[in-house]
Amino acid sequence: AEPHIRSGQWEDALTYVAVNADKAAYAELFSYFAPRLKAFGMKMFGNEQQALEMVQDTMLNVWKKASLFDASRGCASTWIFTIARNVRFDMLRKKQSRKDDVSADDLWADGDYPEQEESASDKWETMLMSEKLAPHFDALPPAQRLVMQKVYIEEKSHQEVSDELDIPLGTVKSRIRLALDRLREALDDTRS
Amino acid sequence: MTHAVKFHPGMMLMEQYVEGTLAADVAIAVATHIDLCPHCQQLCQDLHNDKGAQLAELTPAVSNNAAEFADMLSFITSQAPELKAARKTDAESVTVTFNNREFKIPRALSRMAEQHGKWLQLGGIATAKLPAGEKLHVSLLYIDKGTEIPNHTHLGMELTLVLSGRICDENGEYGAGDLLINSPDDTHTPHTRVDEDCLCLSVLSAPLKFNKGLVRLLNPLQQFFY
Ligand SMILES: [Zn+2]
Ligand SMILES: [Zn+2]
Repeated sequence: AEPHIRSGQWEDALTYVAVNADKAAYAELFSYFAPRLKAFGMKMFGNEQQALEMVQDTMLNVWKKASLFDASRGCASTWIFTIARNVRFDMLRKKQSRKDDVSADDLWADGDYPEQEESASDKWETMLMSEKLAPHFDALPPAQRLVMQKVYIEEKSHQEVSDELDIPLGTVKSRIRLALDRLREALDDTRS
Repeated sequence: MTHAVKFHPGMMLMEQYVEGTLAADVAIAVATHIDLCPHCQQLCQDLHNDKGAQLAELTPAVSNNAAEFADMLSFITSQAPELKAARKTDAESVTVTFNNREFKIPRALSRMAEQHGKWLQLGGIATAKLPAGEKLHVSLLYIDKGTEIPNHTHLGMELTLVLSGRICDENGEYGAGDLLINSPDDTHTPHTRVDEDCLCLSVLSAPLKFNKGLVRLLNPLQQFFY
């Protein structure tokens, strides 16, 4: 079984790497994320050699650029995901030798967008009472449906759901917003 | 001028954009939309969060080669970390000028807009190619005040993102940030109002087919839009 992951563990590890080039902290991060990145790479490339190339490039960036990680903007896993996604995108582009073309840098900002206000929740509540929503609720991705069920049906607080499912509070909030957006999309035709 | 963005990319496009699996030429339109749309900025952050959590929740294969990972780890930590790694600095804001009008270009499009091709003009309409895309044709599209693009059908997909000003068609009115997606067989007649011109980003997968009058016979117009 996996060791229990303490909340904030990877964010702390990244800080040690950033401040002290701490190899022990990095080794812990590596042993957790490298095999998962490989599984992610296998899904994306379907090829072990390319998957490993992506893991190495991604984890090398994590080591070298740890000082760019900002825990106030999101989880370590989110940061590592974006590096892997960009590495993969640029690997594919290089293979097609489209060098003057769109790059990962063009497509994805560093996440500097201003914080949004919380959406007015009564608007959501009214929508959630709509009978028409039930079939769409079942069609939500499982992780989002689970969080929605805990919050809106079992009436648990975001923090309780975070503790119970052992996922960061930010992930709970993101999954609720994503699920609400999906539900709204299902009822709405202003989206292309 | 404030305009609440009304037409967004759907959740499916947003997810593929965040995963990096969306065709680059379409992704550039989505990225530019996000630059202009606070709602999708939040959605984009939420999707990144969710994808990150999914990565952390993946179950690794049991067959992994431990020695391979050990070698990789020692290679990586033998490299010097960048103690002051450079954060990507946002390029100076880029503008594009046409018809004595200066338009501010969103971040995602800046690098490409600076390299736009020369403007080709036909009546109140002008286009300039952007150096993106092999399969799709990506260009800036300027439409002067009170101008109509003749009624046309799309032979492929047409993505139009309003960068500035306002454009209308049979289905509604679109302002800065709004993304119109037309599929093959959709027919429309976009036009500007008499008092406002418009700059768009246009992504086309096939030439437009003009339906009425002389333009139907004028292949050059078709080529102009491709
Ligand atoms: Zn939007
Ligand atoms: Zn059209």
